[in-house]
Amino acid sequence: METKAVIEILQVLLPLLYGGLVIVYALCFFGDAPVLDRVRTPLIWITLALHIFYLGARTTAFDHPPITSVFEIMTILAMCIAVAYLYLEVKTKTRNTGFFILLLAFVFQTVSSLFIKDLLTIPEYLHSLVLGFHVSAALLGYTAISLSAAYGFLYLMLYHEIKSSRLGVIYTRLPNLEALETMSHKAEVFGFFMLSIAIAIGLFWLPRVFENFSYWDPKLVGSVFIWVLYAAGLAAKRTLGWQGRKTMIISIVAFGFVFLSMTVINLYLSGFHSFH
Amino acid sequence: MNLLSIGISHHTASVDVRERMWLSEQEIRGALTELRDHYFSECVLVSTCNRTELYGITRRPDVDEPALKQFLIDFKGAGDAVQGDHFVGRVAGAAVNQLFRVASGVDSMVIGDIQILNQVKEAFALAKDLGAMGPVLNRLMQSALHVGKRVRTETSICEGAVSVSYAAVEMANKIFADLSKKSALLIGAGETGELTLKHLVGKGIGQVRIANRTREKAEALVASLSGAVVDFDRITEALHDVDIVITSVNSPSAILGPADLQKVMKQRSNNPLFIIDIGVPRNVNPAVKKIENIFLYDIDSLSAIVDRNLERRKAEIPKVNAIIDEESIAFFHWYNSLQVGPTIHELREAFEAIRTDEVGKNINRFTSEDRELVELVTKRIINKILHQPLTALKKGAEDGQGDNETLTRINALRELFGISRDRGALHDE
Repeated sequence: METKAVIEILQVLLPLLYGGLVIVYALCFFGDAPVLDRVRTPLIWITLALHIFYLGARTTAFDHPPITSVFEIMTILAMCIAVAYLYLEVKTKTRNTGFFILLLAFVFQTVSSLFIKDLLTIPEYLHSLVLGFHVSAALLGYTAISLSAAYGFLYLMLYHEIKSSRLGVIYTRLPNLEALETMSHKAEVFGFFMLSIAIAIGLFWLPRVFENFSYWDPKLVGSVFIWVLYAAGLAAKRTLGWQGRKTMIISIVAFGFVFLSMTVINLYLSGFHSFH
Repeated sequence: MNLLSIGISHHTASVDVRERMWLSEQEIRGALTELRDHYFSECVLVSTCNRTELYGITRRPDVDEPALKQFLIDFKGAGDAVQGDHFVGRVAGAAVNQLFRVASGVDSMVIGDIQILNQVKEAFALAKDLGAMGPVLNRLMQSALHVGKRVRTETSICEGAVSVSYAAVEMANKIFADLSKKSALLIGAGETGELTLKHLVGKGIGQVRIANRTREKAEALVASLSGAVVDFDRITEALHDVDIVITSVNSPSAILGPADLQKVMKQRSNNPLFIIDIGVPRNVNPAVKKIENIFLYDIDSLSAIVDRNLERRKAEIPKVNAIIDEESIAFFHWYNSLQVGPTIHELREAFEAIRTDEVGKNINRFTSEDRELVELVTKRIINKILHQPLTALKKGAEDGQGDNETLTRINALRELFGISRDRGALHDE
């Protein structure tokens, strides 16, 4: 089947493209690369165009949008992160954070490409409008908290450089601390809100669809645990007046758990997000 | 090329000598008018606190450089302090190079200080206003401005603060997003502290407060900066709601310690606080650095930033020199292309004059049938003699390679065959 061959090629090509983007942005960040500097933004557009084509091809070839397994979600997530970054780059005209954010898109796409399966038949309950809402909310949420973690990471690096007066390329090229903190915080609040919606829909919908539903399902426990972490972080900022470093660390740690729950729990513990 | 430059700068003279040679706009007008009347067909004078430089196209090739220096010294009546040795004279390529170095900031006292570019621009505008500009200087100015622009965009020689006070302001901009929403407190009124505060005001800091042991001094400073005075013994309270603190107090021991600031940070719900300690000995206990969200910089760490920035700027010099070389080549390429055409034309004319002269003298010795042939043959000989050198000259100019070489050839041709310089195309225009 021809479409399938195209899908297989793109499955290999996309991680390479994202990897290439990461390298190009890194070279521009850590050194002077005037030629690469001109090609990097067009390169994102090309990557995104191919990515959208890939998702479209999957949808038609397998007769369902790629939202039915965590690895299908991951490739969309990679695209969402790249889109969000491109939007920020165009809007704020700062291109120096690309390396760090696109790195996340690269990781998600690579994991997805490695483990994604060609599902030709999916259970009837996945053809559901409620699932659509659940997935959309979760995707927006995950994109936002990925950005939040990336900006948090940048904040910590810059904070460390300024604090220790060892000023290097991070100091020269990154935006200011306050801007990084604001970006991270706003993304976190938005992400938390979206994840809350995703979890609420999930909790409402799951018991109706699965007969063997259990509140002790590892994925559900993981999700709630992550939700609690974010809630605690945001609450600490509100009530304890936590600022800067501490809240950024929480954002990064929570994101670490998100990644773990998406990969480890899905791979090694059977949960409801692995439907087959 | 009759381009000449004579200059006095921080390389050759101390400030008390340089300031004697500084020319006001009015003086520049007077000097340029006289210089143009006596020495130059085109000329411009650049005068700043660090340099006074004269660039011009001389009317005659043999210009008396010492006389020009003396003219400038006499014009300023500075004979008691300034000698001819304080000036450096340069001609042709060296003069172009000098102007480009000045415009690029590599010749500035603080390397990369590109304020000079505006001063160069103004100097040329003034010369233009006086009608002292001509085609060569016009082109030269455009090239110099182009050098300045390229240096700014293609190198980072102007980047990074190179004074303690600017380094502090730059740091403030890396910590806070919008200085207009922030406030600064100056404790003490030392010179650097004041300067830092003024830079912050220049960058649009929202509010300014000043505390000083002698309240009158604080009030005087506040009046010029539109801020508020804070009682010296109520500093810690003021720390609750400012974002930047500059301390420059003469005090044998620290005026702020970790205990004070831990309390302050609680009060200000951990909002980031940037402390610039300019006092010597230090006004703030270094242990304060450990407190979260406090960024403490003392004079040493700021000086280290300045030193590093200067090093970085120096590292950019080769890039700047490459730009200067490229632009010099482009300039001479243009200049030579102006020269080659007229030289060829004049050379042909000179040869033709000799031919007609000789043919005219001897034409009666030929029979009337042969006379036409004589015309033809002599013309051919001249064409053949001139063919090789003129082709080489044209080609050299078109290739744009070895522009100095082309210039040397043109000058040699003009000198050997006695074609006068004054008849060059440039000044016939």
